[in-house]
Formats: sequence, structure tokens, C-alpha cells
Amino acid sequence: MQAVLRSATRVPPAYFVFAALLLTLWASKPQMMNPNVLGIFIRQVVPLGILVLGQLLVMRVRSIDLSGAGVLLLVNYLIASGLLGGIPLPLILLIALGIGCLVGLFNGYLVAKRRVSAVIATLAVTVIITGFVQFLASGKPPGNMPALMNEIYKVKWGPIPLPVILWVMLSALMAIFLSRFVFGRFVMAVGENPTAAHFSGVPVARTVLVAHVLAGLFAGIAAIVQSASVAVGSLRLGLEMPIDAVAATILGGVVFGRGDGGVWGPFFGVLCFAFLFVVMTSFGVPEPGKQIARGLIILLAAIFYGLNTRN
Amino acid sequence: MTHSDTTTQNRSKPNRWIGRNSRQGNWLSALVIIVATTLLLFLTTDDFATPQNASNLLAQAMPLIIVAIGQMIVIVLAGMDLSVGSVMSLTTAILALDGSPLVLIPLVVLAAISVGLVNGIAIVRLNVHPIIATLSMQFIVLGFAQLLRPVAGGAVPEVVVMLVTGSVLGVPAPVFWAVIVICLGWKILHGSRFGLHLFAIGGGMASGQADTAHNFGLKDKRNVVLAYVLSALFAALAGFFIAGRIASGDPGVGAQFALDSITAVAIGGTQLSGGVGGLHGTILGAVLMALLANGMNLANLSAFLQGAIKGVILLLVVALQSRKKMGL
Repeated sequence: MQAVLRSATRVPPAYFVFAALLLTLWASKPQMMNPNVLGIFIRQVVPLGILVLGQLLVMRVRSIDLSGAGVLLLVNYLIASGLLGGIPLPLILLIALGIGCLVGLFNGYLVAKRRVSAVIATLAVTVIITGFVQFLASGKPPGNMPALMNEIYKVKWGPIPLPVILWVMLSALMAIFLSRFVFGRFVMAVGENPTAAHFSGVPVARTVLVAHVLAGLFAGIAAIVQSASVAVGSLRLGLEMPIDAVAATILGGVVFGRGDGGVWGPFFGVLCFAFLFVVMTSFGVPEPGKQIARGLIILLAAIFYGLNTRN
Repeated sequence: MTHSDTTTQNRSKPNRWIGRNSRQGNWLSALVIIVATTLLLFLTTDDFATPQNASNLLAQAMPLIIVAIGQMIVIVLAGMDLSVGSVMSLTTAILALDGSPLVLIPLVVLAAISVGLVNGIAIVRLNVHPIIATLSMQFIVLGFAQLLRPVAGGAVPEVVVMLVTGSVLGVPAPVFWAVIVICLGWKILHGSRFGLHLFAIGGGMASGQADTAHNFGLKDKRNVVLAYVLSALFAALAGFFIAGRIASGDPGVGAQFALDSITAVAIGGTQLSGGVGGLHGTILGAVLMALLANGMNLANLSAFLQGAIKGVILLLVVALQSRKKMGL
């Protein structure tokens, strides 16, 4: 009996929550259950989904990355403001990825080499970038996004939107990377026990640093997709996105201090968020209610694992 | 630098107050920077040395001093409370409700105690990481504040405004607040058995043996929960002060305070890894933050850039502290 219970609690809560939400949606709004509508819902969370791919990597090495908000804002501003006017689009996208990597490298240096608390370091990075971008824009929203990006964003392959395909492909790549490459083993070893990993010859600091750089890269990709999804640039991108990324990752079964967790648990965690906000909107829950739900999800998921890992 | 060699060096060098091995942390540099900043502002700006500005400065620094004391209580335990800003917002939102202050003020205390209890119990009993627990509480509490008061407005009871902006015998109320809060903080941290136990539990955590204090028979779990309750109560007190200053409720008023209070505590020499720190350092840190904000305002620096500069300061201070643990 206890063994059955234990194995049941090892399944990430994301799967149960996802099933429950899908059932609720099916019971309350059956007209929404067609592939086209669902595709649009899922397309909305693709930036979050890509951000989660980086988040799950850093969380598995017992770190956290809240600087995604800063990267998103900076890339969004750079593309929309026309500061890079005259530069062809592919180069702009490359610059966006470069920004992501640089921010990730900076985070990684602080966390792995200077041993700064990851929450503080990445929060401070977000605060600095946000203040800087708002200073550059002097509070005014920037201009329009290039139309081409939005057109590419809206391309569909059958009922499946292109961004969703990108997300699934990146997730698959990540899953292969983690399970088939040496770096994936390093990540698992550092997550299980950093001291043991160190004495077994795993380059702990370098693994953490590389995880942060990759998280920055994914934040850059997420920022590009997010920019493509809107027609006009915005300065009001809050901390919600990286917090949701943390929540989705915890929901998906990745916990600090345990090497567990794959790519697909958090994948379904993100899908939960897609449907959660649809369900809440359809029931008329106001914005503060969503805020409370966001907090409750993180807390309950963390408690679920906290009780599980307690000796 | 590990914790154990700090203590052995302490034995041969009895100076516990200042220096690299102080149990109070490096608070001296905060003092030096404060003196330097004050001198600089005194010499370069005309408006700095006026009584009006001095009174403004104290009123500006007061909420941060109050939150920072609460924040320090949990940072000494190697924890961190990210929900303080939301508790402040919730406090102003509750105080701006229609009702008698005799109902509203106990309601504020009750709200703060329950937030602290949830934080503490989640951390101690349910084994949740302090940062994750308080991060999620930050959103939950902010959600409740926004439910009560979606946008800034309303009016707080007259008593609250009077307690914050009034004056007795020509001495403005913030001076009394400062004296009372500092005495309270001193009693809790350095003048009570509870405070001593806090440093003992935190010191054990910093050296990597989280159960050291427990093995010595200290009621560590109970004390940790109490510390988070106190942190929330201090945040509510700061929210009370701000509600009196702006005379209305505002769900966005606490947004900056979680990071600002951590910065203030860290500048004051308190180690984020726990067990090392002093109340005077924290107060110096909070005053320094207010002084910098005041100076940047006098220099007409953009508010956005001020936010970025505060972020840089936090990063610098935290990067200069040494710590064994990597990650969170």
C-alpha cells in the first residue's frame, strides 16, 4: 500500500492538474474543445514554455533564474524601439539570443563563481535591466514590432501553430540533451548532491554556469517568440513570467535538491497554466484571483514535494 | 573562508565588534559610506542641510528601517522573507477599509500573524525552501490586497494619520517611532533569550550543520516560526507607517520593499548565510539606502535609473559576501 502511494506521489502533479483542468473545461465549455481553439490557447503559453526549458535546467542544479523578465523586456524594447533600425531581421534575432546568453553568463558567474544567492542575483539583474530600459524609453511605450515576425508567428501547420511546433521540438532536443549527453549526467549529479558530485570529479561550478548560460539562451528565444506574438512593444512585462516558469517547473516535478524531473513534466506544467487561465477567465475570476492562484500553485506544489522529501 | 576558522580566530582575537571576524558582520563600511555621502551631499547641494530635509529623510527612512529589522530576524536564520512588501500593501489596504480603527488595527495584526504563521509552518513543518514559501506568499498576499483595494485610494482612520504625521512638544512623531522600533529590535535580537537562540540556530545553518542548535536542546522549529511571524509583524508596522503618511490604501506601495530591505540588511554587514549580524548594521544600512535615495532625488536623477542603481548596489554587496553554499 505504502509503495503504491509512494510511486503515485512520484508522478509530477502536473499530469493530474492537467487532466482535472481538461475535464473542467470539457464539462463547462464543450465548444472550446476543438483543435483550433486549443491550438490558440497553447500558442499563448509558448514563450512561457520555452522559458521553462531553461528554468528546469537551473532548478535541477539547485539554482533559480528570475532574470527572464529582464531579458524579455530588453529584447522586446530593442526590437520595437527601432534602435537597431536598418539592421536585417535575422541579425536582430541573433543579437537577441546574444543578449540572453550574456545575461545568463553574468548570472552564472555570480551564482557559480561568486556564490551569490541565485534568487537575489537574478532578481537584481531583472531590476537593473528594467530600470535601465525604462530609463532609455523614459516611460513611453516603444513602437511597433516588425510585421514579418507576427506573420511568421501566425503560420499554422494543419491545426497546429508554428510556435507550438518550435516549442515541442526544443523540448525534445532538451530531453535528448539531458538523457544522452555527459552534461545531462553532470546536471543530475549536481542536483542530487553537489558535494558528492564534486568529489567524483564533476565540474560543479562549470555545470551551474553552463546551465545559467543555457537558461539565458532560452530566455532569449522566449523573448523573440513573445515579441512576435504582439504587434506593439510594451514596457509592462512584469515578473509574472519567470514566476510562472518556476511554478510550472515545480508542478512538473523538478525539485531543488533532488536530481529528479524530466522535460515533459514541466511541459505539462506549462499546459496547465495555459488551461488554468482560460478556465479562470471563463469563470470570471478577476486578476487578483489569478495572482492568488499563482501563489497557491507554487506553495502547494512545493509542499507536495517538501512532504515527499522529508526523510 | 569557512565558518569554523572564523570562530577559532575569534578566540585569539577578542574583538567581537569590529574587524573581519566580528560576530556583528562588517557594519563599519556602511558607517564610513554614510559619513562620506552625508559630507558629499552637505557640500554639493544647498537643500540637504535644512531641517525640512532632515525630517523628510527620517520619514523616508522609517518604513525601510522597520521592515529591515523584521527582515534581519529571518536573515540571521539563513532565511529570507520576500513577502514583506505584500504584507505592507495588504496593511494599507486593510486600514483604508470602512470601519473603526478598533476593528481595523487588530485585523492588520491578525493578517500579519497569519502570513507569518503560514510562512513559518510551510518552512519548518512542510519542508519548503524559505525563498519558495515566501515568494508564493508574496503573490497570495498581494492578490488579497488587490482584491480589497484594486487601485490606490480610500481613506485611513484619523488616528493612524495622527500617529505618523503628528508631533509632541515640537518633536515630530517619526522620531518617537525610530526610538521605539530600535528599542524593540534591540530587545528582540540582542536583549533576549530568543535573540540569542536565533543567532545560535543561524550559526549552525551557516556552518552546514542545520541541526546543531537542535542538538543543544534549543526549540529551533518554534523559534523559526516565531521569527517569520515577527518579520510579518514588522512589515505590518511599516505598512501602518506608510498608510499614515499617504493617508490612503495602495496595493502597489510595498513592491520595492522586499528587495530594498534585503539590500539594507546586507549592506549593514549581516551575512545572508546566517548567524552573523547586528541590529546597528541593519539600521545603518537602511539609513544609507534612504540617504542615497534622498541624494539621487536632490540630484534630479530619473526614478527609473534610481531603481537600476539600487539593483547594482544589492548585487555588489551580495557579491562581496562570502558563502559556502552554491545556488539558491
